[in-house]
Amino acid sequence: MSVNLTKPQMMLHQMVTDFADKKVKPFDMQIDKDRDYPKELWEGIVNTGFLGLTVPEEFGGAEFDAIASSQTVYDLAVRNASIAFTLEGHYKTVDQVIKYATPALKEKYLPQANHRIFGFSSTEPQGGSNIMGNTANAVKEGEKWILNGNKTMITNGGLAEVYCVLLKTSPNELSCFLVDEDMPGFKHGKREEFIGMNGTPVGEIFLENVVVTEDHLLGKLGQGVEIGDQAHYDARILMGAIAAGIAEHALTIAVDYAKQREAIDTPIIQLHSIQTKITEIAIAKENAQLLYQEAAKLKVEGKPYAKVATMAKSYGSRASVIAADHALQVLGGYGYSREYPVEHLIRDSRALQIAEGSLEKMMIEITKEVVKEREE
Amino acid sequence: MSLKIVVCVKQVPVSNNLKIDPVTKNLIRSGEVGIMNPYDKNAIEAALRLKDEWGGEIILLSMGPSDFEMTLREGLAMGCDDAVLLSSRQFGGADTLATGYVLSQAIKQLGDVDLVLFGRQSVDADTSQVGPIVSEFLDWPQITFVSELHSPSKQTMTATRLLENMQQKIEFQLPAVITIRKELNEPRYPAPRNIQQSYKKTIRVWDENSLQVDAERIGLKGSPTVVQNVWAPEKEAKETTYLKGTPDEAVRELLIQLRSSNLL
Repeated sequence: MSVNLTKPQMMLHQMVTDFADKKVKPFDMQIDKDRDYPKELWEGIVNTGFLGLTVPEEFGGAEFDAIASSQTVYDLAVRNASIAFTLEGHYKTVDQVIKYATPALKEKYLPQANHRIFGFSSTEPQGGSNIMGNTANAVKEGEKWILNGNKTMITNGGLAEVYCVLLKTSPNELSCFLVDEDMPGFKHGKREEFIGMNGTPVGEIFLENVVVTEDHLLGKLGQGVEIGDQAHYDARILMGAIAAGIAEHALTIAVDYAKQREAIDTPIIQLHSIQTKITEIAIAKENAQLLYQEAAKLKVEGKPYAKVATMAKSYGSRASVIAADHALQVLGGYGYSREYPVEHLIRDSRALQIAEGSLEKMMIEITKEVVKEREE
Repeated sequence: MSLKIVVCVKQVPVSNNLKIDPVTKNLIRSGEVGIMNPYDKNAIEAALRLKDEWGGEIILLSMGPSDFEMTLREGLAMGCDDAVLLSSRQFGGADTLATGYVLSQAIKQLGDVDLVLFGRQSVDADTSQVGPIVSEFLDWPQITFVSELHSPSKQTMTATRLLENMQQKIEFQLPAVITIRKELNEPRYPAPRNIQQSYKKTIRVWDENSLQVDAERIGLKGSPTVVQNVWAPEKEAKETTYLKGTPDEAVRELLIQLRSSNLL
């Protein structure tokens, strides 16, 4: 662990670990199969106060920082990546409301973030990372904004009740608006039939002449790209934590199996070929963990963290796929079976190379940052 | 109409590799990572539910070194209002009698307490004695090993005692001392917000000068219990047979072996 947890963070970590062992771990495979969370688990998440983890105390939340939220996401992801992914989608959105919302909007919506799921919406059917190609828009009429358009690929889409939505406010300008599912003209669309992260719904929303007041604009007019980028950077710390969690989950399964599985009267963990895979999983997990913890630490210290957060997500997403794949190989036929959890780790980890910016976009961004550093 | 409830909690070692003081035969607690005695969480949960029903306040009470503060913070994070730590070198080496005496004096000092709750026992010493001893010092009814608890009124409660081979239903008047079994409830998790707030609360630390205690009845001096010896039971490792194959094959083999050994 590269960060030293404070006493409250340590108590939180112990609570989350205990919760995850008792309330999440037993349902890991069921969540994947049912494509949903058991009612008891979801109630536990909400009633225990996981949603309000980062909400400021003045709005009824716990006001834990990025070190604590990423540790929490990691601790859950070790037992089930999907529940961690659901919280990632919520935390990154709440972060933007905290940072950019007007005082009146914070007063109204941040207390609700303690019990209602929030989602961030930027992608449209015709493109993801190229957000300036978006067509969904907001038009000002008097003191109100009229919102129209279709958004897709939203983490928690359908489960979330409050959304931050990037909309065109002029041909070359994106702005971010807070939209509530209770508003007339708001509709949820279909859920994507994804292959992994099955507890987390990813879906679309439709805005048909949704009317919001001026104070539903986050930040300033035209600040949408910045807010979208900021949401990505905050999300990528948590994506790195999910990746490290999946790698740790894969490591535990692989080691437990290799210790008890025998080949020619010898546990296969004694075999060099198996040790190679376990070593690679362990190193991948450790590196992924160090990267997201470093990014979280930089964020807490108020230092630039975009590059390291992007590295945490970029490296972590590949590390978790490799870890899951190696674990599958260690388990052999059982690893390839739906009766064992490893195969869903591969499906879950694969999402991390796409969500919150594709692997390819990560490379562009990291290279840009590295070049910039050398020119300064 | 509100209840003043005291929950007595203890920090116990998490380690399986406990060390015993060769002279006093007491547990050496320094350096050990501690956790809250698991049964005490059931007692806290019971108190929180009674507070939900009747209102009032819940005060955590513990006796031990300063690092017991961690357990008290956890109790505060679960939702308790206040915490008092009885901590002094003079309290050290106390047996269950001396511990019960100091706890009961602290409860008297807190004043107007309606109910004192304990976990059924601590998982380190396993005596189940401190709760009953406190009730004797306070001269209040004691209801031990409670697995069901109802409070039809603020003054009267009914409880089911779950004993080894019987259940006993009891109606009793407050004030009283109750020890709680884990069957009574599922303790809540400390909410993240309460965790943060628990570290902003001040834990009162009382020593022998803060209480009206007889110096001859506290700590090692006030402990008549003499532990002659403590030892770990010998591990009787027998031959272990691992049955291989599918679950069906393993069960079939198990049945064959049990029958051949005349155990079935």
